[in-house]
Formats: sequence, C-alpha cells, structure tokens
Amino acid sequence: MIEIKNISKTYNGTDNVIDRLSLSIRSGSVFGFLGPNGAGKTTAIKIAVGLNSPDEGEVLIGNGSPFRSETRENIGFMPEEPHFYEQLTGLEFMKFTNDLFDRNRRSSSEEIDEILEKTGVYKARNKKIRDYSKGMKQRLGFAQALVNNPNYIFLDEPLEGLDPIGRIEIKKILANLKNKGKTIFFNSHILADVENICDQIGIIHRGRLIYSGPVAEFKKNKSLEEQFVETIRGFSRQ
Amino acid sequence: MNIILTITKNTFRQAIRDKILYGIVIFGFLFMGSAVVLSSLSLGEEVFVARNFGIAGIYLFGLVITVFLGASAIYEEIEKKTVYFTLSKPVSKSQIVLGKFFGLLFSTGLIMFLMALAYLAVVFYIGGGGDYKIFLIILLQLMETGILLGLLILFSTFTTPLAAIIYTILIIYIGHLLSLIQNYAAKSAGPAAKIILTSLYYLMPNLEKFNIRSPVVHNYPISVNELALSLTYAILYIAIAVYAARFVFEKRDL
Repeated sequence: MIEIKNISKTYNGTDNVIDRLSLSIRSGSVFGFLGPNGAGKTTAIKIAVGLNSPDEGEVLIGNGSPFRSETRENIGFMPEEPHFYEQLTGLEFMKFTNDLFDRNRRSSSEEIDEILEKTGVYKARNKKIRDYSKGMKQRLGFAQALVNNPNYIFLDEPLEGLDPIGRIEIKKILANLKNKGKTIFFNSHILADVENICDQIGIIHRGRLIYSGPVAEFKKNKSLEEQFVETIRGFSRQ
Repeated sequence: MNIILTITKNTFRQAIRDKILYGIVIFGFLFMGSAVVLSSLSLGEEVFVARNFGIAGIYLFGLVITVFLGASAIYEEIEKKTVYFTLSKPVSKSQIVLGKFFGLLFSTGLIMFLMALAYLAVVFYIGGGGDYKIFLIILLQLMETGILLGLLILFSTFTTPLAAIIYTILIIYIGHLLSLIQNYAAKSAGPAAKIILTSLYYLMPNLEKFNIRSPVVHNYPISVNELALSLTYAILYIAIAVYAARFVFEKRDL
C-alpha cells in the first residue's frame, strides 16, 4: 500500500507547490496521477520516492518511509524525460543501477537481458546512450525502474516521447506488472492511456487534490479528456 | 562500501571516456615530448631542463584535468537530473559524494601516472637514467589534487561550474602563497588585517606542503616526517571538504 498523508511542500518558503495532499493506493493497483502543467505532480512523485522531503506530512510505502534504504530496495522509479550518463552503453547503465541494490534484490545478467528485451532496448544495449533517440532513452529509463523487481513502481510521464508502438509495448508491460501484483503510480498527460490502464486516478490542481477515485466514477458518461478539462476549468474559475 | 565502489567505478568510466579530457591529455603528452626539443637547446643542462619542464608539465596538466573534472561533479548530476536515478535507489547523498570523489581522484591519478611514465621515458632518452622520485612528486600532487577535488565537489553542490573554477583557481593561487601571507601578517599588517590574514592562513589549504618539485630537481634531501605531516594534513583537509560537500548536498532540494 502507498499512503501519502497530508503532505505539503513549498519552494523558497512561499510557493505552495503541494498543499495537504493525501492519497491511499492499495497494493496491486495502477494509479494515474493527473493534472495540468505545474500542478505539482512531479513534486509529489519526487517526495513519494524520497528524493525530496515534505515540509509537512509523511509518505509510507509498504509501511516504510521512502527515506529508509530498506524501503527503497523495493521501489522502482523512472524520472520525467530521463537524462543519463551519456558515455555509458545501455547495458552498462543497467548494470550500474543494478549494482546499487542489495545482492538479494539484484537481477542476474540473464534477467537484465530479459528486461532490455521486453522494453525494446536489447538490440541497442551496446550502443552509447548519447546515440539513443528520445524514445530509446524513455525505454531505458523504464527498464532501469524494473531492475530490482520492485513491488512499488513510480513512473513520471512514462509514455511521453514514445511512438504508438512503443506506447502499446509499455502499456502491455504495465498490464503484466499489474497482473503480477505490482503497485504502479504514474503521472501522465496522455489521458487516453490513463483511461486504458488505471484502476484509480487522482487529479491535482495548483497543489491540491481535487479528485481521487475510480476512473469510471470521474468520467460520468463523458470521455476522460472532456471531464478532465471541464473539471480543471471549473476549478480555475474559482 | 559496495555502493561507493559502484559510484566510483561509474564516475571513473564516465571521466575517462570524455573526449575533452582526451584533448587535454594529448596536449599534456605533447608538452612532455617537447621537453626533448627544449632540453637540446640548453648547453650541458639537458637533463636538468627536461626534468624541470616535465615535472612542471605534470603539475600544470594535472591541475587543468582536476579542475575540468571536478567543477561540475555534483552540479551536472543535479542539473541533468541523473542523480534521480541514484537517489531513488538505496543510495545516500554521502555515498554519491564519496563515490564521485574517489572516481575523480582515480581518474586524475591514472592520468598523472601515465604522464609520469612519459616523463620517465623522456628523461631516460635524454640520458638522465631512471628518475623514480617522480612517483613521490606524483603522490604529493595527488594529495593536493584530493584537496582541490574535495573543494570542487563542495562548490559544485551549490554553484555553477564557472564559479567553482574561479573559486578553485583563487584557492590554488592563495594556497601556494600562504607562507608569504603568514609572514606579512606577523611582521607588517595592522591588527585587523592580522586577524583576517591569520584566519586566511588557517582556513585556506596550504598547498605548498605538497610541493617537493624543487628539492627533487635539485637533488636536495626530503624529510620523511615532513612527508608524513603533509599526508596527514591532506587527509584531514579532504575529510573536512567532503563532509562539508555532503552537508550542503543534503540540504539541497532536487
């Protein structure tokens, strides 16, 4: 279970990027976190994985704080528009991230190859990352999030920059991970994809959570996109 | 320990694959090779000139490489967000700072060692035999490099590479003039200036402690006690700089 309890975050002491955000995501579900640009999605995900600390509130991932290394052994995270160590090859980068985990969480060479195969990076594994396209970098960013076989997977805009085939492939992997009981939390702008994959969604606007619950309940016989735009506009007018 | 080693290896691998670094190293070797030509212009002092020139070259290019590699160590990790990959894993900021430090120290150490081999070849070619004291010079230069890398990593946690380079060049300059500053403070400065200069003397790294180039070239004896003191001083200074870097990095939001 992922529990985000009443977290707030300000930058420079004034801008309230996250304002008393609370979420509860049950284990084995896929949660889509939506919101317009600058709403606080990335800040929230960074706090959730322990990259930044909240000013108030706390996050629990499987009952553990993300600031504890034991908890992070069980987390996979893919940042938005990932940047890499460009001098490394894809395979070297995977081995590097793999070696950062405890021995019993690490993947074997065969398992790394399997992850690279599944995410479509295998053929380019020995090429320097600086020669990768944006889509390939996105795939590699996704691949490294799976290297420790985590139970909790956090993805910041995982489908951004992928071509339609890439999006289908990644969505298929997400569905498989869900079937294996993994808990997936992801930020996205691509609402059609969210609609397909997610059990639940959360909508954040100006740092505040304005909806959290099942997708169908939110849509109310409209498309997710229509309902999303209408809701955000409604809150913007307030 | 294992994580620090992994980050060290990664930093080392990144550093030695940098094309700009290759450019600097090639210039370094050309500089070393030019000692052969220059020494041939001197009358009867070929070996002395070649040793002077070679040792100066190793120091100069060692400094350039240190500053080049260290100035953006943490800054680039934060700006390019590569640190998100490491810090979202069971890795602490202290481990990143230490891994970066050792990775960069090994990279600069390797290049200095290779330059020392080139130096030995040049001196041998000119007829100076095996000038193995160069490795003692390299060891002490590595201590100075460690201090500078510690400070560069500290600067790179809160400022841009350009600012880090400027601060470091100032520190190198002041660090080699500290005994002059201390003398001036003791003999000529007023009370306020004395306090400032004395503080500067104790705060800044005394880089002259690691300069045994002149005694080696002139074949003067080198005190073992002095060497041990210099090594202890370097380790303490590096520990303080790296701890300060970790402290500042810890406070930074990403």
